[in-house]
Amino acid sequence: MEITLKLTQLDPSVRAGLALLLRMAKKRTLLCLGILGLFASAIVAHAAETIPPKPDRYFNDYAGVVSPGAAQRFNEQLAQFERETSIQIVVAVFQKMESDSDIADYTRRVAVTWDIGQKLTKNGAALFVFIQDRKMFIQTAHGLEGALPDVTCFDITERNIKPKFRAGDYEGGLTVGIDLMIKAIRGEYKGSGKTVRESESSQSNPAGLLVFFFVLVIILLAIRASRRFGGYRYTGGGGPFVSGSWGSGGGWSSSSSGGGFSGFSGGGGGSGFGGGGAGSSW
Amino acid sequence: MNKGLIGCLGIGAIILFIVLVGGCAVAGSYNRLVGLQQKVDQSWAQVQNVYQRRADLIPNLVNTVQGAANFEKSTLTEVTNARASVGRVQIDPNHAPVDAAKLQEFQQAQGQLSNALSRLLVVSERYPELRATQNFQNLQAQLEGTENRISVERGNFNSAVQEYNTAVRTFPTNLFAGMFGFQPRPFFEAQAGAEKPPTVNFNFGSPAPGATAAPTP
Repeated sequence: MEITLKLTQLDPSVRAGLALLLRMAKKRTLLCLGILGLFASAIVAHAAETIPPKPDRYFNDYAGVVSPGAAQRFNEQLAQFERETSIQIVVAVFQKMESDSDIADYTRRVAVTWDIGQKLTKNGAALFVFIQDRKMFIQTAHGLEGALPDVTCFDITERNIKPKFRAGDYEGGLTVGIDLMIKAIRGEYKGSGKTVRESESSQSNPAGLLVFFFVLVIILLAIRASRRFGGYRYTGGGGPFVSGSWGSGGGWSSSSSGGGFSGFSGGGGGSGFGGGGAGSSW
Repeated sequence: MNKGLIGCLGIGAIILFIVLVGGCAVAGSYNRLVGLQQKVDQSWAQVQNVYQRRADLIPNLVNTVQGAANFEKSTLTEVTNARASVGRVQIDPNHAPVDAAKLQEFQQAQGQLSNALSRLLVVSERYPELRATQNFQNLQAQLEGTENRISVERGNFNSAVQEYNTAVRTFPTNLFAGMFGFQPRPFFEAQAGAEKPPTVNFNFGSPAPGATAAPTP
């Protein structure tokens, strides 16, 4: 009895291989076009996909499968992890994969775009979950391939998260997954006690103050000069302006530290994602 | 007399100026080509790395699969042979190949190994007790991760080569690129027959090894 299988029925690994070959074939015809070359291939070959915009949190539940309390807890856990170790782990739960590509390939491009991980050490990782497709994938950047090898990623998704997801327990699966990723990596890197977002804002504060004082000095000098040369003409305008800039100075610092969650900013390590990681479907 | 001297000096200055500007332009392009060429060599080293990683996985995979009760021998020999022929194609890992035929040979050997490996994975479907072992699952995850890395590094290599080739071939760099030994480099091409999706036939009727027809090119 002979059975001919269609592409969709194949084993995932074989399918990944086929997808890869197909993609290369597509790329070649594009290369023949010559001048536009790479640029065109980047655009045309992936025309049928959407790369989601950079998130501003570590834990992002776009599918609404986790309670707000748990989401907040996961986010804090991951932010704290960055403070301690400098490693950025981002978790994103989507309803559906917006791409025709293979999950490994697509999520790699997303991780690159989101610039996860520090620029120098390239120590980023991301767990992507697609609820409707019943698929997940852990992407690891070069800096974490030692601490989080493919086998470990596979172990986490296949043997720890998958059973919970199968039972419909998304929160439980994500709890286990995040805990295990953190546990596997811990001890590999030292952190600075701050997230990228936090060091960005603490850096911008002194700069803002400097600019403020510089402006203040200029204004004071201008007032003095105007008094010397033109009598009292500008003092009327100068007074309220000075007090106005005091007010706005106060406004900057409070707005940068405001908000009820620890924000995520990519550390610039996107180029470190070279295809490492593993995933499962459930 | 005096006028003529000034004229000569003027012409000399102009020529000097042109030579200087031209020299600077040539030096700038030359340095750019050197940088691009280094990028090509670097990404070639990465390509070699990931292919080596795959080759290193194979003994382990073969051992694991061999342990499974009477696993089809022909598939295993094919993988082992392909692995051996990959080892025979030697290209300097630090310098990208200049000769297109050399790269073709490399690609062909690696392609044979890819085919043998994917056939092995397909055949392993028929051994559920093997697929259930943690060892086999782990190896499969590693193999998949390696294939992903290979595709990324091949892509990086191709775009580095393309950037370099464009620089070598475009005006005005092309006027002197050949003079300094900058030749266009070959890049990876899709394998013949890869553009049509292959159909995989399973012959469950006869258990004889070798009876399975997996028409991969």
